[in-house]
Amino acid sequence: MAAITGVIPRPTSYAGIWGWMTTVDHKRIAILYGVTAFIFMLIAGLEAGVIRMQLASADSNLVGPGRYNQMFTMHATTMVFMVIMPLSVSFFNFVIPLAIGARDVAFPRLNALSYWIFLFGGILMHMSFVVNQVPDAGWFSYANLSDKPFSLDRGLDYWAISLLVMGASSVAGALNFTVTIINMRAPGMTLMRMPVFVWMTLITSLLLVLAFPVITVGLLELVMDRNFGTHFFIPTEGGDPVLWQHLFWVFGHPEVYILILPAMGVVSEVLPTFSRKPLFGYPFIVFSGIVIGIMGWAVWSHHMFTVGLGPVANSVFTITTMLIAVPTGVKIFNWIGTLWKGSIEFTTAMMFALGFVALFIVGGLSGVSHAVSPSDFQQQDTYYIVAHIHYVLFGGSMFGLFAGAYYWWPKITGRMLNESLGRLHFWLTFIGMNLTFFPMHFLGLNGMPRRIYTYSSEFGWENLNALASLGYIVLFIAFLVFIHNIMYSRRSRRVTHDPWDAPGVEWTIASPPPPYNFAEIPQIQGRDHYWIVKENAIAAGTPITEPEALVDPSSIHMPSPSYWPLFTAIGVALIGGGLLSHYALSFVGGIITMMGVIGWGNEPVAAPSDHH
Amino acid sequence: MGLSPYRRLKSLPMQSSSNFNQPKRRSVNLKNRLVQLGLMSVLFLLVAGCSKDGQSTWEAFGPVAQKQLDLFNVLLWVMVAVFIIVEGVLVYAIVRYRRRPGDAKPPQIHGNTSLEIILTIIPTILVLALGIWSVFTLFAIDKAPEDGPDPLQVNVTGHQWWFEFEYPDAGDGKKIITANEMRIPVDRPINISLESDDVIHSFWVPKLAGKLDMVPTHVNKMWFQADSDKITEDLPVTLYGQCAELCGLSHALMRFRVTVMEQNDFDSWVAAYGAPPAISDKAKAGQQLFAANCTLCHNIDGPDDPALSASRLTGFFSGGDITPVPAPNLTDLRTRQTLGAGITDLTEDNLHSWIRNPEDFKPGNYMSERAVLYQNGPASLTDDEIDSLIGYLLDLR
Repeated sequence: MAAITGVIPRPTSYAGIWGWMTTVDHKRIAILYGVTAFIFMLIAGLEAGVIRMQLASADSNLVGPGRYNQMFTMHATTMVFMVIMPLSVSFFNFVIPLAIGARDVAFPRLNALSYWIFLFGGILMHMSFVVNQVPDAGWFSYANLSDKPFSLDRGLDYWAISLLVMGASSVAGALNFTVTIINMRAPGMTLMRMPVFVWMTLITSLLLVLAFPVITVGLLELVMDRNFGTHFFIPTEGGDPVLWQHLFWVFGHPEVYILILPAMGVVSEVLPTFSRKPLFGYPFIVFSGIVIGIMGWAVWSHHMFTVGLGPVANSVFTITTMLIAVPTGVKIFNWIGTLWKGSIEFTTAMMFALGFVALFIVGGLSGVSHAVSPSDFQQQDTYYIVAHIHYVLFGGSMFGLFAGAYYWWPKITGRMLNESLGRLHFWLTFIGMNLTFFPMHFLGLNGMPRRIYTYSSEFGWENLNALASLGYIVLFIAFLVFIHNIMYSRRSRRVTHDPWDAPGVEWTIASPPPPYNFAEIPQIQGRDHYWIVKENAIAAGTPITEPEALVDPSSIHMPSPSYWPLFTAIGVALIGGGLLSHYALSFVGGIITMMGVIGWGNEPVAAPSDHH
Repeated sequence: MGLSPYRRLKSLPMQSSSNFNQPKRRSVNLKNRLVQLGLMSVLFLLVAGCSKDGQSTWEAFGPVAQKQLDLFNVLLWVMVAVFIIVEGVLVYAIVRYRRRPGDAKPPQIHGNTSLEIILTIIPTILVLALGIWSVFTLFAIDKAPEDGPDPLQVNVTGHQWWFEFEYPDAGDGKKIITANEMRIPVDRPINISLESDDVIHSFWVPKLAGKLDMVPTHVNKMWFQADSDKITEDLPVTLYGQCAELCGLSHALMRFRVTVMEQNDFDSWVAAYGAPPAISDKAKAGQQLFAANCTLCHNIDGPDDPALSASRLTGFFSGGDITPVPAPNLTDLRTRQTLGAGITDLTEDNLHSWIRNPEDFKPGNYMSERAVLYQNGPASLTDDEIDSLIGYLLDLR
């Protein structure tokens, strides 16, 4: 085995398709994550289109219940696990090492492994369309509907096993960023000087590391129930379907913050830059993030108010859920405080960040209303909830991520996204978003349950549903504008290293950054490092116009590319794929994974040409 | 809501350190206009979006739903107020502090601790007040008041995709089992025990109470009451209910009705329930067809025999093609208004199409999946046979 796994020299080429497949450069991995998640987002967007067209009129039977249940299940699963999370990770990857003044993440090969496992997990999930046995029990797949004998095809197996595979990727990535942020900060970058985006990444990573084991237990039990005859969730055999709900939501509520905290971090970078003012109440924003990260573990049962846990349990979760609104409110006040007396420039990034704040207020308020358990008995599982989650996840997370895309695009590519197209994109998204999701509040309050594929005209839900479907069309056009903008930016002008006059460390270096990021590890001057540096330079009469000078890359020791992350990820994917097709394949996958790990361990530290 | 964040911000020292010289009038006009526009659109949306029709939660016919609605109404206005204040301050800041050519670098304010503390305490008080009120309401609606009228017990079982209602003692010790249409006397608390036969469902009659899940092997308890002084129409009044938890393919088609009636009308319904059918000649053939094809699962002459129910349950979980499955009790079918768990009106035409091919109405239903009659798709009966079956079903008393 050593012959296979020990003596293979590290790849040397950074070019071409092999360059991408063996890369361990955090910036390239960020691009891989971003492109992959964007493709999944288009798929999930089309699924949303099917949902909206089916619901556009009463008594419609356009796609029918079977396909409809698959569409909302896959739309939500894809958006949560294959779009918002990896898009956030894409920004973690690109920005974190740059923002803390590091040359890469702590474990570059593990970083590549995370990406490849995520990619294969996502593909595995979508293989369910190829075999036409698509998950159809909703994104939280409540047992025992998701269990035998009520779900007999392999759809839920695809769902559970793909999520297990992707969970491995998430935990590995989260550990990587935790270690990176704690250990690899440049001198002077104390914890309380870290940009808020770095803070939120740290909190998100810790949440991920702690939350994914819980869902892993639940998913394993589900897989065993479905395939190996156990009865964890089968009531007639002594199991309990409510156990699944507890496991899912103990994971699921921290997951909500895993989805929103990165966007909050992005917004906390964008607002100060374009207000030309430091973030208002930095310590309060940081500590409210930490408080959210802790309290997020004590609110899960507000998803289960109607399960029948009784008034005592419901009271406890009413109060804890109420209290978690406070740190969220603190953040909103501080963002507004950042704008206050600022000098606000309406770049597209800023507009999306402002849109985030405006829409997140709506989602936050409806969130408080869920905490009021007695009235939540009426709203639970209605379109009121659907409206809420889309205000926090689309109006919140997606707007935050769009803000980040426009903000860091020039750093990533060295070119600008078109600002006029960007403004059009923003307004179409903002209008389309409100048109689609605002009416859903009323649909829910008017009694429309979620996850129904059709409704009778006697309920009077037609007009608001038609409006929501119209909003989808606006959003669809908005996405076309964004795609056009991306295409356009390939021909747009090159930008300087610091087009926004931004405070972050990442703006001190060239755009796009060289592979080694920093020729010299910077000495961090303060919370808004680059603003301080530029200010001092102006005071000294030598304003900064150039990025840090480029140096000969071979003079800096960087981790060499590696075959092993991809190799190992193929093994992990085969373990999952084998559980879905033929167990023998799982054994092959297990062997490949072991070989990958051994080869990984035995790999030479550097490529032959790279001696230092 | 006395202390608006806006006012607080205004009175802070940072205001005095202003070094801006802005054309004030323009921004004030714009601000007023934006505020007006915002207020108007919020009010317009609130009025335009709300409806009391169907199974809307905006109208309460009983004490439980009323307490929930009262709470929500207060909550709603708190939310609207907070929305207007916070969005107002946000929009004001965006408009007022937009960058103009020649702007100097703004003052580099890093924060204001006393403001932070105030803005933490205000929402804390607000949410705790709402939380405590919620807790009191939770306990207040948990059980029917003990000093009120004698409650009526109804056991509801969820099935894919229909509801079964069992009255252990509907009056004079008479037991009633019926499906998809629940009848309740007005002004009397109804104690409800919820259970499920297969997957998790959720029992929801918005005008009477919020929902509670029906979980297999758990027995969940709730209560509601229809108050005559809250119902403006003449009794009997029929209310909508629907399953609110995804329960499989035809989840959307799992509905039911609750008919609120005077106690004496209810009593006469109870008394008439299960009376021996007067079968017309036309229906005789139908009776034989029913006995030959349907009785394995459907009871038609009163409440189910408990032993028979148990055997159906076991048969269902062990699988097999012709084992009985739980099915709606068809006693007094003629007195019902709807068909197929509240999805369509009970008319002869609809019933004909339903018997011909239930799959057209309710995809995935166990009748077309399991009954021998439907082994090859639509029912293997002639139109005349179906008509005589309908004659039997709708003649039943």
